[in-house]
Amino acid sequence: MTRPNAANAERPKEAKLERRDWMWLPILSVLTICLLAGSVEWYARRVFARLPTAGENCLVVNDPSDGARGIPNCVVREKIPEGQVMEYRFNSSGYRDNADFGPKSADTYRIVMVGTSVAAGFRVPQEQTVAALLPADLSQRTGRKVEVYNQGLPLQTTNSIARHLNDAIAANPDMILWIVSPLDISYSAMAERRDAVGRREGANPRNPEAGDWSSIKAVFATESFQTSMATIFSHTRTAILLKDLLYESPSQYVQAALMGADYKKEFLQSGSSAEWLRELKEFDSSAADIEGQARKAGIPLVAVLVPDRTQAAMISMMDECPKGFDPYKLGRELRSIIVSHGGTYVDILPQFRTVPNPQLGYFAIDGHPNAYGQAMIARFLTNQLAGLPIPAMSAAAQPQAGLQPRQ
Amino acid sequence: MDSASFWFVLFGLTAAAVSNFSRSSVWRSIVLFVATIVFLGLLAHSLIVFLPLMGFLLFGYGCLLLLEHGWSRALAWIVTAVVLIYIWLKKYTFLPETIFLHRFYLTLGLSYIFFRVLQLLIDMGENREKPHLKFGAYLLYTLNFTTFISGPIQRYDEFARDQFAAEPIPLGSRVVGLQLERIVRGFFKVNVLAMLFNMVRVDALAQMYQPLPASLKLYAAFRLCIIYPLFLYANFSGYIDIVISLARLMRVRLPENFDRPFSASSVIDFWNRWHITLSNWLKAYVFNPLLVALMRRISSLAVQPFLAVFCFFVTFFLIGLWHGRTSEFIVFGVVTGGGMSINKLWQIGLARAMGRKGYRELAKRPIYVAFGRGLNYIWFAFTLFWFWGDWRQIDAIFSALRPAEWLGVWMAAWLAVTVTLAMWEWLRAALLSIRTTSGPVLVNRYALVVYASVLGLTALVITVLLNQPAPPIVYKAF
Repeated sequence: MTRPNAANAERPKEAKLERRDWMWLPILSVLTICLLAGSVEWYARRVFARLPTAGENCLVVNDPSDGARGIPNCVVREKIPEGQVMEYRFNSSGYRDNADFGPKSADTYRIVMVGTSVAAGFRVPQEQTVAALLPADLSQRTGRKVEVYNQGLPLQTTNSIARHLNDAIAANPDMILWIVSPLDISYSAMAERRDAVGRREGANPRNPEAGDWSSIKAVFATESFQTSMATIFSHTRTAILLKDLLYESPSQYVQAALMGADYKKEFLQSGSSAEWLRELKEFDSSAADIEGQARKAGIPLVAVLVPDRTQAAMISMMDECPKGFDPYKLGRELRSIIVSHGGTYVDILPQFRTVPNPQLGYFAIDGHPNAYGQAMIARFLTNQLAGLPIPAMSAAAQPQAGLQPRQ
Repeated sequence: MDSASFWFVLFGLTAAAVSNFSRSSVWRSIVLFVATIVFLGLLAHSLIVFLPLMGFLLFGYGCLLLLEHGWSRALAWIVTAVVLIYIWLKKYTFLPETIFLHRFYLTLGLSYIFFRVLQLLIDMGENREKPHLKFGAYLLYTLNFTTFISGPIQRYDEFARDQFAAEPIPLGSRVVGLQLERIVRGFFKVNVLAMLFNMVRVDALAQMYQPLPASLKLYAAFRLCIIYPLFLYANFSGYIDIVISLARLMRVRLPENFDRPFSASSVIDFWNRWHITLSNWLKAYVFNPLLVALMRRISSLAVQPFLAVFCFFVTFFLIGLWHGRTSEFIVFGVVTGGGMSINKLWQIGLARAMGRKGYRELAKRPIYVAFGRGLNYIWFAFTLFWFWGDWRQIDAIFSALRPAEWLGVWMAAWLAVTVTLAMWEWLRAALLSIRTTSGPVLVNRYALVVYASVLGLTALVITVLLNQPAPPIVYKAF
């Protein structure tokens, strides 16, 4: 009735293996596995090389009074496995900008950008960051000379942004542009995570050079065998290579992110948990402080949410994104908070639908926007900012309450 | 456990190992029964959810006893009742919602149990000399964990021949090795290949909704057109590879369900190679009886060839309906049955126009075979839109491009598939032609060990890396 598979039918019919095969077949299997695993790891190490230094070396992270701050005039080279070799240069004020604040000429529209690592353009060369691209894009669109000072610093909480806002105000800007990323909202969780990282620094093989025997032993001592194996494997370059390939797919990336134990997905879930509401309330309090300072100084504050990779992928997937998730929820919540304190919220999220695979604008494993992503964000921001009725920026437009230029 | 997960494979291998502690059929049946109970227990933790399924099985066994005791005249009524109960339990959407049971219950495996029960009833009704089927054997056959989720649909006599044999079929080290290699291959197909193909499909589908330039949409449509048959094949045949091997390790030979389906050069040939056990079941219990009945009533020689056209439509329309409860599957049935009928009409027409010999010669020409293969693939891919999509998706997909653009996409897909499959067939033949005295080099034991090691390592690495549940088996939903 049924036809056997042709390939199966052609196989030899003997029932038993020859004696020598009991030895040779396992050896052949082990050799194959070693050769395959070794060659892939060798190739991955060549393609996904990394430097031991990183941009974070120019930061003082655990200053209890100040939060994170940059080390003035610090220079460091970085290469993450997915990225290219690049150099960070911090100015004399400890920000990632080529120049210090200078006097503003009358025909120049000055923007000071605040935020965390996305604003700082971490993981991409300085000339490819939003802060570097925005002036030219905006100047072209508005016909005015625009300059952007970048005061973004990684690992800042919204509280420390508020504490450092006097630096931004001192630059005498026409606008403060606050780049918010989803992780910024989770102030408490982030602080806890940072503490946890600090505590476990020696226990986890965080360095992908997984040759540290003591780290491996520590992982086995603290986690189950299965989890330990998965943890150790996830730090090999083979894992990075495979993730880099597989995560090109938005659906696969979203699924992997939502399954990840480390990923805080509350901001994407349609319903809000009590923890998320608490974090949002804390953010609201910091936002009130930041917007209060800007208002007092008479400087318009414009906030924008830059989605993380998962959110960008979900936006592009639209109806095919997993049930129970809403990638636009955080945007609505943020708009409500910003507008309630008199600021302006610009929404770039819908524009991520117009790009074929917007999540490719982010590093697959590191998660920060890459050069393509920074350019994409700069373009979306230009579209939104150029449309804002700020007289100083666009003479043709009408002023809007809360967006008056600095007196 | 209801997927081709690592734990399912481990569970099956453990059951197979325990089953081989003794060659006694009683011992092997006890192990299979216990393994099946454990398997069912792992699917759902409450006994209540099994009650409708158990009721269906008990009803089937009761009918079997009736037929055994001379009620064979009631066969038609019994079969009708079984079909209606099945439709009711599966909650076909054309029935009013109010008549269904509203408490959650398990329907997993019901479709395959349905075929087994029907087959037993029809065989018993038509052949009174069938031996008495004990309740234990009935349960073992209908609930067998290796065929519970997605088949293959095994006939009872084939099952009983191996399961209850006094001298079980041999299981030498070579057979064990081949089964392990096939398990690895199946695991790789489901957990790596199918996962990758599905990834391509979901991403292409998402791009069809996006406001993107036409060139990107055309490319997304092209991927969407060609990818699903590959996904479905990897997903379903991978699972079948695993269960056939597990059953073989338990000394039961399950029927093959696939025979290189995409090498088929016509729709009729395709259904001889795809989900073979389902096609065979319906041919035996629907197509043949229907054709015979019609031929008895219609004696005109001119009309008789067209009776097969009609019977093909009915049979494959039913195949479409069996796959799902919603109106999409009615269309799937119509296009599947329609494809079979049109293919049959084409054969009849060409044979009349060219003569039988001329048609046979044409059908052997490589270019005809290659384009036929491509056309069959594309037709199957087209029908599957109503298999995987709901009306909302189908509407969004087809309205994303203009009709002329869709036509261009399908033509491009046909051409691409024709060339790709022709190259694949050529490459496969070339590789299999490299032979030693013991057979093709590519399928000797050393090559298989290398092949299985590579696939096994890749599947393991990707499974660990993604740390996601094993992809569901599409056919478990039917």
